[in-house]
Amino acid sequence: MALPKRIIKETERLMAEPYDYPHVPLTVFGASSDSLSLCISRVSGINAVPHEDNLRYFDVSIHGPAQSPYEGGIFRLELFLPDDYPMTPPKIRFLTKIYHPNIDRLGRICLDVLKNNWSPALQIRTILLSIQALLGAPNPDDPLANDVAQRWKDDEPAAIQTAKEWTRTHAMT
Amino acid sequence: MNIPDFLALEADSESGDLVDLRALDFVSSYDSHLMCPICHCPFVQPVRLQCDHVFCRKCLGSAITTVRSADSEEFPCPSCRTPATRISMNVPRLLINMCDEIQVRCPLLGDGCEEVVPRGHIQSHVEKYCGYRLVPCPDESCGKNTRKKDLQPDQRCMHSYCRCGRCNEDIMEQDFAEHDKELCPSLETTCVDCGTTIPQRTLKQHIETCPDVVSPCVASKYGCQVKIRRADIAIHEQQCPLVSIGPYFEAQNTRLDSLELTMRHLQQRNEIFEDGLANIRSTLRDFARASGNGGRSVIGGERDQQARGDADESSDLATAFSSHTTQYLLSLHESLREEVNQISHALTDLDARASMTIMNECLRIKEDMAHTNAAVNSVRMQVQWLMNPRLHNGARAGGIRTSTAGNESPRTQLTSTSAPGPSNAAGPSLGPLRPRRPSDSGREGTKL
Repeated sequence: MALPKRIIKETERLMAEPYDYPHVPLTVFGASSDSLSLCISRVSGINAVPHEDNLRYFDVSIHGPAQSPYEGGIFRLELFLPDDYPMTPPKIRFLTKIYHPNIDRLGRICLDVLKNNWSPALQIRTILLSIQALLGAPNPDDPLANDVAQRWKDDEPAAIQTAKEWTRTHAMT
Repeated sequence: MNIPDFLALEADSESGDLVDLRALDFVSSYDSHLMCPICHCPFVQPVRLQCDHVFCRKCLGSAITTVRSADSEEFPCPSCRTPATRISMNVPRLLINMCDEIQVRCPLLGDGCEEVVPRGHIQSHVEKYCGYRLVPCPDESCGKNTRKKDLQPDQRCMHSYCRCGRCNEDIMEQDFAEHDKELCPSLETTCVDCGTTIPQRTLKQHIETCPDVVSPCVASKYGCQVKIRRADIAIHEQQCPLVSIGPYFEAQNTRLDSLELTMRHLQQRNEIFEDGLANIRSTLRDFARASGNGGRSVIGGERDQQARGDADESSDLATAFSSHTTQYLLSLHESLREEVNQISHALTDLDARASMTIMNECLRIKEDMAHTNAAVNSVRMQVQWLMNPRLHNGARAGGIRTSTAGNESPRTQLTSTSAPGPSNAAGPSLGPLRPRRPSDSGREGTKL
């Protein structure tokens, strides 16, 4: 089955993303508003590369967001686009161990847009950004890993401390 | 149209189009707003939801069938999740035209068609005009396909084999012409340079490697005029000074290129700075004008500008930046016009203020006049009051006199009391007893 055009395009865009910073442009008295848009830096910290033998299977790495217990860590994930993508959501799983109330021991993620809130207008990029946002804002009220969520509710500082330790041991090598 | 209707229509219109518009190869980039958020291609038969989001008809149909819970009347918009119940097939013509105008390659590029046409025409191109489309052989018993351009006017089957007279190979009739002219292995030709005879189909490769072909020295772009046989070129290249100096030229060229690039950068920066400078200058000028007092400083400022303009002009002439001068003069003109505007504003302002003052003054004067009138009247009254007893006395004396002296005095009395006739008789007699009333005074004043 031929790869749909949409997947090809998304892949191209994902691969084109990590560009070098353009040299900082001069903006004197707003003389060049065009060049201002050039200096928008790449903040995402997201990287997705398809497997050579199966272009529906991606190796993903997400940088832990700043000011979160996962800061400084690089988390690896696997992403698979089912045959009826984009009508059904991609299948995503954390490969790196992570201490998070919405991610269980097997790396499965509890995120509404990956389940019933999926929309075909979403893309790989936006989904990965959502996951990065989930790292920045854990939601213990809708848990997947019950023990972690309970600890997060009972003693948040200790839970955050554990998350930091896990990040250091598993996501910084 | 509501959702079940739409789905029914969508199921009906399972179109057997020749070309999948989503798989096409686009020649140039297109505006990302023309991209369907679901298939990421320019819209194909766009439809619109209530929230004004547009999708391809087919994309929306499959999105609805997979996402919608069974038979609910609503469906969340894939872009904004607004519940939609109706689907509008009316999409602005502009959008459709823009999508149909995007240039695409013929999908039969792999078969040899190199046509580039607008997307709106690709169906008809493939259907009617493209010569590379495979159509069933006109001979129904044959069952093979043939390219459209190979069809013969007489509808003959071109799939029968015929034998090439030279190489004894069986060639299909539709390929025979090509075989006969180029591909037949027995076809031979002579290389014009070395004189050897070679098979025609290898001629191209031979020309690239033939030792006798005359070719220029590798340093020809640096000025070496030598053109000799390929076999001898190695010897020449060892001696040619331009070849040995070649790498140096290369390095220089790359250096020049990078310098040019830097220069362009610097030029851009310079332009930006110049713009900024002009901005500063104009702000300064405005500021000076605003803080100056009255016309004198404005004139001074103008003179200043003139002087500066002259200086600029001369320096610009020196650097031959005529565009800058024009721009400068234009800005000068602009600022002068602004000044004129300001002055006219000030004039109207002054005008209004003057008329206001005049009116105020007038009112005050009128009031004063009224006061004066009142004062005069009261004085008049007093005088009358003072005069009354005397008149009375005079009248009484006159009355005595008239009764005695006949009709001489009534004439004098009549002339003096002609206006208030009736009060004449009672007034004088009551005059001294009556309190003074201001309202009386106006009329009686005429007596005096």
